[in-house]
Amino acid sequence: MAESSGSVDIAEARAEWVGVEFDWAEFTIDKDAMIQWALACGETDERFIDPLHSDFQAHPSFTTHCMSGRLFPKNFPQIGGGFGIDGGKTVTAHLPIRAGATLSAITTIADIFDKTGRSGTMVFIVQRMEFKDETGALVSTVDWKMIKKA
Amino acid sequence: MKVLSYDDVELGDDLPGEIPDVSMLKVTAFCTAAKHVFERFVDHEAARKEGFPAAIVPGIMSQSLLLAMIHRWAPGCTVRKIDTVFRGTLLVDSKVTMSGAVTDTDDSARTVEVDLVITAEDGRTGVIGTAVIEFQA
Repeated sequence: MAESSGSVDIAEARAEWVGVEFDWAEFTIDKDAMIQWALACGETDERFIDPLHSDFQAHPSFTTHCMSGRLFPKNFPQIGGGFGIDGGKTVTAHLPIRAGATLSAITTIADIFDKTGRSGTMVFIVQRMEFKDETGALVSTVDWKMIKKA
Repeated sequence: MKVLSYDDVELGDDLPGEIPDVSMLKVTAFCTAAKHVFERFVDHEAARKEGFPAAIVPGIMSQSLLLAMIHRWAPGCTVRKIDTVFRGTLLVDSKVTMSGAVTDTDDSARTVEVDLVITAEDGRTGVIGTAVIEFQA
C-alpha cells in the first residue's frame, strides 16, 4: 500500500477524516418517480411498480440518486488528481422505503485507501449516505466509491 | 428457472441470463426518474463530444437492471445488499448481457450470495458485483 498520494499521507487522512459527518439533507420519496425508475429498469415485481400493492416500495437502490450537497467536507485535502471517477456503489437495504416518506440523510467519509495495480496507484474515497425515515429508523445505506489517480 | 424459496437454491446455480433494454427511451425515462438528465446519458452526439463512443448507461441504472433480474429469478425475495463496481462503459442502444451465479448460501439466515456481471456488446466487462438475497422462512 502506498503511504502517500501527492503531498497527502493516506493513513493520516484516514485517521483524520473517516467518520466525519459533512452533509445533512432531506429527500421526499416520490411515488411516480419510484414507479418510473422501476419500470425503466425492466422491473416486473408488483411490489415496485404497482402503487396499490400492499407492500409497494421503492426499488432497493432508489436512494442512489439522492446526492449530498457536497462531495467532500470543508477543508478536505486534495487527494489524488482531478475529480475522479465513479467506481461503484454499495447499497444496503435495511427496511422498505415507502412512497411519500421523508428521509433524512447524513453523509460521512466512510473510508480512504489506496490500491496499486498495473496502471499505478489509485486512491479510493468512500462517501457514505445513511438514510433514516421519520421514525429515525435506518432504511438505506449507500456507499459511493470515488477513484482518483494518486 | 425461477426459485420460489431458499430450498430451491443450489450453490453454483446460474441465474437466467438476460438482455436488458438499454434503449435511449428507457435510459431517458430512468434519468428523468432519477433527476440525472445529463447529456452523456441521453444524447449520443453530446456524449461523443465528451469523448465517449455514444451515450452511456448510468451506473446506478445498471445496478437496478441487475436487481430487476434478481427479482425475476427469485420472485418475492428481498435483496439486502448489492455492491457493484463500474468497470467500463455500457452504451445506450447497444446489446448488453446480464448474468449471475450463486456463490454462497447461509442456511441459518436463509440468504444466498450471487456474483453479477454485465457484459458490453463488444465483450468488455461493464459492471461486476455481488448481492445478498434473503428468502422468507
